[in-house]
Amino acid sequence: MTSQLLIQTIANAVAASSMYALIAVGLTLAFGVMQMANLAHAHVFMIGAYTVYALYALGGWPFWGAVAAALVVGAIVGLAIERTIFRPLRGDVVAGFIATAGLMFVIEVFCGEVWGWGHMRTIPSPYMRPFKIMGASVAFQRVLVIPFAVVCIGGLMIFMRRFRLGRALRAVAQDPETASLQGININMMTALALAIAGALAGIAGGLMSTIYAVTPALGGHLILPALIVVIVGGMGSVGGVVLASIIMGFVMTFVTTLVDGVTALMVSVAVMALLLPIRPQGLLGRVTN
Amino acid sequence: MKHDPQDKLDRLHKQSMKGQIGRRDFLKFLGIAGPASGLALALPSVAASAPAGLSEDEMVILSHLPDQQIGKKYPKGETINVGFLCALSGPDAGWGLPGLTGNNIWVDAVNKTGGLLVGGKRYPLKLHAFDDEANAAKALQGARQLVLEHDVKFISAIGGDAANSTAPFLTKHKVIYASLVPTDCHPDKPYVVAGGDITPQCNMFNALMAKMVLPSEKELGRPLKYALTTQDDIMSRQVGAWEIGAAIAMGFDIVYEEFFSVETTDFAPVVSALMATNPDVISLCEAWPEYQTMMWEQLFLQGYKGVVVQNYADWETNLTKIPAKYAAARQAIDSFPLMDDPWWGETSWQKSFTDVWNQRYGPGAPEDVKRRMTGIDWDHMIWLIPWSIGAQVAGKDAPGKWPSNDAILAALRKLPSFPTILGPGHMSGKEMFGIDNMIEEPVPMCMFNLEAKDKRIIAHLNFEPWYASIKNVVLKAVKKRGQYWTQR
Repeated sequence: MTSQLLIQTIANAVAASSMYALIAVGLTLAFGVMQMANLAHAHVFMIGAYTVYALYALGGWPFWGAVAAALVVGAIVGLAIERTIFRPLRGDVVAGFIATAGLMFVIEVFCGEVWGWGHMRTIPSPYMRPFKIMGASVAFQRVLVIPFAVVCIGGLMIFMRRFRLGRALRAVAQDPETASLQGININMMTALALAIAGALAGIAGGLMSTIYAVTPALGGHLILPALIVVIVGGMGSVGGVVLASIIMGFVMTFVTTLVDGVTALMVSVAVMALLLPIRPQGLLGRVTN
Repeated sequence: MKHDPQDKLDRLHKQSMKGQIGRRDFLKFLGIAGPASGLALALPSVAASAPAGLSEDEMVILSHLPDQQIGKKYPKGETINVGFLCALSGPDAGWGLPGLTGNNIWVDAVNKTGGLLVGGKRYPLKLHAFDDEANAAKALQGARQLVLEHDVKFISAIGGDAANSTAPFLTKHKVIYASLVPTDCHPDKPYVVAGGDITPQCNMFNALMAKMVLPSEKELGRPLKYALTTQDDIMSRQVGAWEIGAAIAMGFDIVYEEFFSVETTDFAPVVSALMATNPDVISLCEAWPEYQTMMWEQLFLQGYKGVVVQNYADWETNLTKIPAKYAAARQAIDSFPLMDDPWWGETSWQKSFTDVWNQRYGPGAPEDVKRRMTGIDWDHMIWLIPWSIGAQVAGKDAPGKWPSNDAILAALRKLPSFPTILGPGHMSGKEMFGIDNMIEEPVPMCMFNLEAKDKRIIAHLNFEPWYASIKNVVLKAVKKRGQYWTQR
């Protein structure tokens, strides 16, 4: 590998890691609080992407206005998922799993019927130029994801540690029964968690709508890597997601560059398979009874 | 630099004079005169009074049929069902879904005349679609549904894995499966026909065209380098082998030949790996439409400076990701012409098809598909028409009943030439694929044109004489990759 290719690959990997982290962080947050996996999380990401398509590409909105709208739409969808699926099924992990799996198909068909099947939706790049650093060249749009991921994840970590509501969320994640006895409104906390997760997915989808091919199949493509990142990082651990995203971003990018994409996916799943017998709770996950 | 089709041709001629390829050979490859091949046929089978609702453009489209007798009354036969078994959703849908429009136009135009006139009866056509999502198992499920529930006689499809999974069932029921790709043709699959979109011939010509537009090895003082990537599926493996064979025959060094997973969502590392080999030509080969758009974006962002070739380019989408000047500078070559390309001429079959399509599916039309017409809109229809021609010819031998698919294929093979939307074609393929189930027709080669901000035809090439001159080298490369028909 030449030094030029090495720098380019590292730049690609950093961008990919940020993208993984931004997609997966909401998924792990919702899991931490609900103790249930939201399989439709990547589909909320997709709704964010379609929101930008509808408002920016079709409606002529400014790109950043459309991304902000995607955040709001994502939060509303998250709230709706909490109210209609997670709250009625609280405590029933299997039912929640099946219900969100069904929701994936509902959202996929909804997007397909509203915005069309087949061709990817064409969303013009707002910044059609590369960002050059040390000879490497990365899409400006991808570079933007890096500070966004830092701000969103950093902000979430600060919120969880420093703010009363954030600490309440952590308390619910650790022991919902005791948290309830302390006067914490569990329903409000789960709604807050899903709203934040939805908002993060929405803004990530909006921001990356010009990077990915926006089709009704987008959510289905992204849920597997997002789940790998969350499982490797530790279900419910935001810090774990960051670490796992970096590992997965580098593994996927380097193996794709040096070998091919098929091998890269196999290696990333192998990393997960090798890690789990050693640390079933993931890299930074907590051991629970 | 001015990007005008004629200028481009002139430049190609000049470059051929520099010694990359003999001028005589090059002129020989440009066998078919452009606009002439697109001119509408005369309308011998059209009676004086056209049925109500049939437009002049639709009459021109129907002029491909040798014996339609438009306006004359004949007894009505039973409805003949035809199937459309393609990806209507998912990343491969770009090669499937749009094809419904062309098939609908053909079926509806035929039905407006009362049906396809075969053996003295008019048979109405009915189209049934099934979404196989580019999944071989779903394709078999779809084939069973189309045949057992709808009794289809003919299926339009994309091909590849789906052609293999459906072949035993469709062979048993003697139903024709029209793939887009002749590499699906095989003596073990007697009802798989192909050749509509002249793949892999066009991919092979990509190597020739790239050679034409590049400086010679002598000028550069080194061999020219060719890199190829596409998604990992049966179709791409087969087509890629033929293209690599042609590139080797053209004197290229093959520096990259890798296939990426169909699950790929991030093309930055794929393109970084490609560019690390410093190729003069990057071929996106059979990359599905959305993949090639993502790769074009990465090629632009990572600063690739060579030539780019591909089977199919959708510039309406690509230009939302890259500047037109970049595409022009890459001399982007593909072989899916636009039917409104001025090359075809103002009074052409292609122009009529474009007009009918726009009136039905264009902006503000009754069935507005919210996009412009693409190469795929006509691509699937390209076999439905010869099948209809074959039915009319075979029907003459057995009046009063619909001919078998065996009779239709036999009739087509006997015809020295029949019209296709790309020009006159004939049945071929035995040498390359072991069976004469492929339509051989002129191959239109396109290049991105900055002024038009779209592709324009720059040459219309005859494949067979060129292939004869390079086949030994090509076959060696194809066999080395295990993709010759005897190896599959």
